[in-house]
Amino acid sequence: MTELLQYVANGLVSGGIYAIVAVGFITIYNVSKVINLAQGEFLMLGGMVTVALIGMNLPYGLAALLAILMVTLIGVLMQKYVIAYVKKANPISLIILTIGISTLIRGIASFIWGKDAFALEPITSNEPISIGGVMIAQQSIWILAAVLIILFLLWYLMDKTILGKKINACSVNPMAARLMGISPTKMSMLAFAISGATGAIAGIVIAPLSVTSYDIGVLLGIKGFSAAILGGLGNPLGAAVAAFLLGIVESLGAGYISSGMKDAIAFLVLIGMLLIKPSGIFGERSVGKGGL
Amino acid sequence: MMKQIIDKWGKSIGIYLFLMILFPFVMPDEYYRSVGIIIGLQAIVTIGLCLVMGLAGQISLGQAAFWGIGAYTSAVLTTKYGLPPFIGLIAAAIVPGLFAFILGRAIAGLQGYYLAMATLAFGYIVQIGITEWEPVTGGANGMISIPQMTFFGGSELSMYFLIWGVVTCVLLFSLNLLNSRVGRAFRAIHKSEIAATSMGIDVRKFKLNAFVVSGMFAGISGGLYAHYMGILDPQPFGLHESIKFLTMVVIGGMTSIWGALIGTILIGFISEALVLLSEVVPGLQGDVDTIVFGAILVLFIMFMPEGLVPRIRTAFEKGQAKKAKAMADEAQRKQQVERKAAT
Repeated sequence: MTELLQYVANGLVSGGIYAIVAVGFITIYNVSKVINLAQGEFLMLGGMVTVALIGMNLPYGLAALLAILMVTLIGVLMQKYVIAYVKKANPISLIILTIGISTLIRGIASFIWGKDAFALEPITSNEPISIGGVMIAQQSIWILAAVLIILFLLWYLMDKTILGKKINACSVNPMAARLMGISPTKMSMLAFAISGATGAIAGIVIAPLSVTSYDIGVLLGIKGFSAAILGGLGNPLGAAVAAFLLGIVESLGAGYISSGMKDAIAFLVLIGMLLIKPSGIFGERSVGKGGL
Repeated sequence: MMKQIIDKWGKSIGIYLFLMILFPFVMPDEYYRSVGIIIGLQAIVTIGLCLVMGLAGQISLGQAAFWGIGAYTSAVLTTKYGLPPFIGLIAAAIVPGLFAFILGRAIAGLQGYYLAMATLAFGYIVQIGITEWEPVTGGANGMISIPQMTFFGGSELSMYFLIWGVVTCVLLFSLNLLNSRVGRAFRAIHKSEIAATSMGIDVRKFKLNAFVVSGMFAGISGGLYAHYMGILDPQPFGLHESIKFLTMVVIGGMTSIWGALIGTILIGFISEALVLLSEVVPGLQGDVDTIVFGAILVLFIMFMPEGLVPRIRTAFEKGQAKKAKAMADEAQRKQQVERKAAT
């Protein structure tokens, strides 16, 4: 029983990370109908830049803040100079474009930092704490706290503020939004900024628990996207729930079947889901139809 | 059928055959011949990928997985069960074809991002599967002493011609497909699936066929790769290679079979140049080629989404049209002058 709970606890932590990635995907998708396949690279950059800045003797907090700002900026620049440039491209070109950007970022990261893995000091001590026999690393609690805060803030932004209503207006009807004086381009830029910032935060909080290296973005990106599809593309809440589910399934699979197959399990779930119900568990039929 | 192709692409095929045959003789160095062989192997994969991307308008990010399945199928059958490489190669076409069929059936209704991610996930599953299935595939350590092909003595030169022979077959097959009713159906799908469906084209079936054919091409190439290299490990069959294949198709032009071939050759040489460069420049650590491929993908989609070959073709046709117009103008002017002189 303790073993099962332990796996569930581990799954919740990794599921939380997938949730942030998934919500990042959906934020951008809702506004600009682009799936940013470089989403995972935002996480990688968040962790790596922080490690690098700490290496330059900057204090932890400042390094993390600078890293978040930097990745946010990269997100904005990416929207402004690349995505906005090819506005009218067909989906296949957009896919290739974001794949290209993610490959480019990954390559540059490996060029700067090499292929070694880096670890970050945990925010609080290394000592795991025991809750009813389940051992939880203190960093895991930080991760879950960060995830919940980010999800709450995003929900608040989207549902309760005028800015959120503007973003929603662009996702429903960009033309009408423009007529009402909202700039869809600016909103799209904002979406990229949000997803950059949240991605970087996620990357920083996971770096102490699992080491970070130039290529962790790919796996995190695909898993986040799997969660986004599982939950129904376009539905942030559904995606977050699906992400936690995916994390738990993966952790149980790793525990009871084989740890080497851990990543394969997530992908099998994805393909299975696409097979049975591509619109996702909580998705509407119309979302993502026509393959976008 | 053959006549039609020769009518349409005779000149190109002639130039292709000439250069292909000439290459190993102007490059007698074994090293460059081996580069030529690798490029040939990649061309078989990218021509198949071009059928999926350019004609069926779909994207596959798991092409290296089919390549790997083909390589391991033939390697396991010949090394563990002592079958001749020829049988291994046939299996290397069939097994990835079956995988492509099953995967394609499962995801035939998917498009765009969904298909991209499904194939990406498939690629990962295959690479993990190869690594984990240690008793058969040797796991991360890989396989050694895979039998070499004994084709005309099995020298580097004979391997070169064997592989480029396969490239030629694949090329002609694909050009033929492009020129046939099937090809027109593909192009219709690429333009608009809805319009194609309303014309009575079974879109799902065509996409599935393209996917299966591309899987088989990749598998054959993988089998040849296994027998050429003699050793295998799971490393080359991942995302990096799939993106490399993607870059090759994009650079040459997604809608052109010739583009896939030319893109492959270009990227092949760029890769070689980067390897040579990293030997000279000591600071070039990490995957420099990753940066280059990423940049190429981004820049091409931004500034030349149609790719090199269609761009050059359009420029050429424009030039021709301009010339023709200039000649017509000239003739008209002359006529006017003559008419004036007559009156």
